[in-house]
Amino acid sequence: MTTSLLIGAWVAAGLTLCMFSFLYKDNPFFRFGEHLYVGISMGYTIVRIYYDVMVKSLYAPVIQEGKWWFLIAALLGLLVLTRFIPAISWLSRISFAVIVGFGSGVAIPRIISSNILQQVQGTLKPLLGNDGQPLFGMAQLNAFLILIGVITVLVYFFFSIEHKGPIHAAARIGIYFLMINFGAGFGYTVMARMSLLIGRFDDLILFASREYGYATLVLLGMIAFGLFMWERNANAVPGSDQDSRPGGSDVRPHADG
Amino acid sequence: MRDLAGKLLRMDRRIIFVLIALATLIPLLRPIGLPIRISPEVKQVYDYIESLPEGSVFLLSLDFDPASKPELYPMAVALLKHAFKRDLRVIGMTLLVTGTGMAEKVVSGIASEYGKQRGLDYAFLGYSPGGSNVIINMGQDLATAFPTDHYGERTADLPVLQGITSLRQVNYVISLAAGTPGVESWYVYGKEKYGFELGGGVTAVIAPGLYPFLNTGQINGLIGGLRGAAEYEILIGAKGKAVAGMDAQSATHFLIIGLILLCNLIYFLTPHAAIRSFGSAQSRSDAPREAGR
Repeated sequence: MTTSLLIGAWVAAGLTLCMFSFLYKDNPFFRFGEHLYVGISMGYTIVRIYYDVMVKSLYAPVIQEGKWWFLIAALLGLLVLTRFIPAISWLSRISFAVIVGFGSGVAIPRIISSNILQQVQGTLKPLLGNDGQPLFGMAQLNAFLILIGVITVLVYFFFSIEHKGPIHAAARIGIYFLMINFGAGFGYTVMARMSLLIGRFDDLILFASREYGYATLVLLGMIAFGLFMWERNANAVPGSDQDSRPGGSDVRPHADG
Repeated sequence: MRDLAGKLLRMDRRIIFVLIALATLIPLLRPIGLPIRISPEVKQVYDYIESLPEGSVFLLSLDFDPASKPELYPMAVALLKHAFKRDLRVIGMTLLVTGTGMAEKVVSGIASEYGKQRGLDYAFLGYSPGGSNVIINMGQDLATAFPTDHYGERTADLPVLQGITSLRQVNYVISLAAGTPGVESWYVYGKEKYGFELGGGVTAVIAPGLYPFLNTGQINGLIGGLRGAAEYEILIGAKGKAVAGMDAQSATHFLIIGLILLCNLIYFLTPHAAIRSFGSAQSRSDAPREAGR
């Protein structure tokens, strides 16, 4: 195994454990990992943007291929930065106008076509049945349920008339459809979060092997010892600023004084 | 009953963290091998790639970064293995700048496993700024959107891209996405206008939102989350990290379902006033707060 791979495994295992230490409570290991992540991801993004945007999409076309009109886009980009100079910050509006104008012009027709017209067509078409299919099959039942769902949810979000009588009943059915949607969404979200946990555990198990110098086990022991010492010091010093709440907190007493 | 409910509601949430950790760790160390059923939406992606003749152009857009790696990386591995096994011409790219290094690693790594040569059998175009606009640009002229590939080679000179001037010559596009730009962008700005077939591979969080596109045929298949990746690994006969993780996934789901049922049981069996008093106890300043917000 190469040294770089070994170092990478130790760094990955250490940082994963630092982040997981938050589950005990907010602590210096977690804050170290958190700040390092923000810094490194920003640094990586800047480097990639420099090569992929500034060099590949601006410098090379302008200098090597003579496409001077690329400078117009660069100028518009620079105008956005005038937001930092109050006296000429109005210039940034030119760039924003181009961005909004171009973005809307490109997006509106395409989104209306694919997210509204084709969805309406897709909702209604199966009700009529396809060639060779029975007119009253399971596909039609599904399509009918979808149609009921679409209409009742739209009724629920229609606030121009009072929800009474049949409108109230339809809106009520719409709520049930929405609840089913939220439930499915929540189920998938749980699945996604568990997948992320499995991914990290998978790596931690790999890095706990002899091949990687028992990185996970050694670092787990070190972080546990570090947390123990940190707790002991904090308890020894009256009025310590550490957050004693288990599971961490989104409000850090030391951060806002 | 009220005492038990009180104890459970006041339980240190770190106990739940430990239970989840155990439910994840034990199946990873001692796999059970629970059966995995193949869903039609995943099979549709597999069948479409199977139906492509040798030399067809397959574009895999890896629109995710390391934050979504556990779900989407196994999908990328499985799809690339399938494509290389079928001798398709593979084009890799990304619309997310922070995913560039990881995307390059998986494309070149799987290609070398199958003895494929860069530039000849596959190309990795890398990242180009603009998000959804890159798709429009690729639809008009591929060489304008990506004048050079990730390694600085002129795309017009790459043998693997001979005859491919825009997205119109691409047979199948799959976007592996964790958000925007992603599958929807590829449909809205690409497929509808340039006529290629489109499939999606997404994180479980955004999968429910794409089912309407699947039902209308706007995408021809959908691989959702780690579960979808596991199904695809089974279809190609190359069990990997996704299949290995499915037992753990099932175990944690059982545990969470159990906890939800328990909470609801307590809620319905305990007088509401009592629940409220536990609630006020929870809001004390020294009470456990939700982690990871």
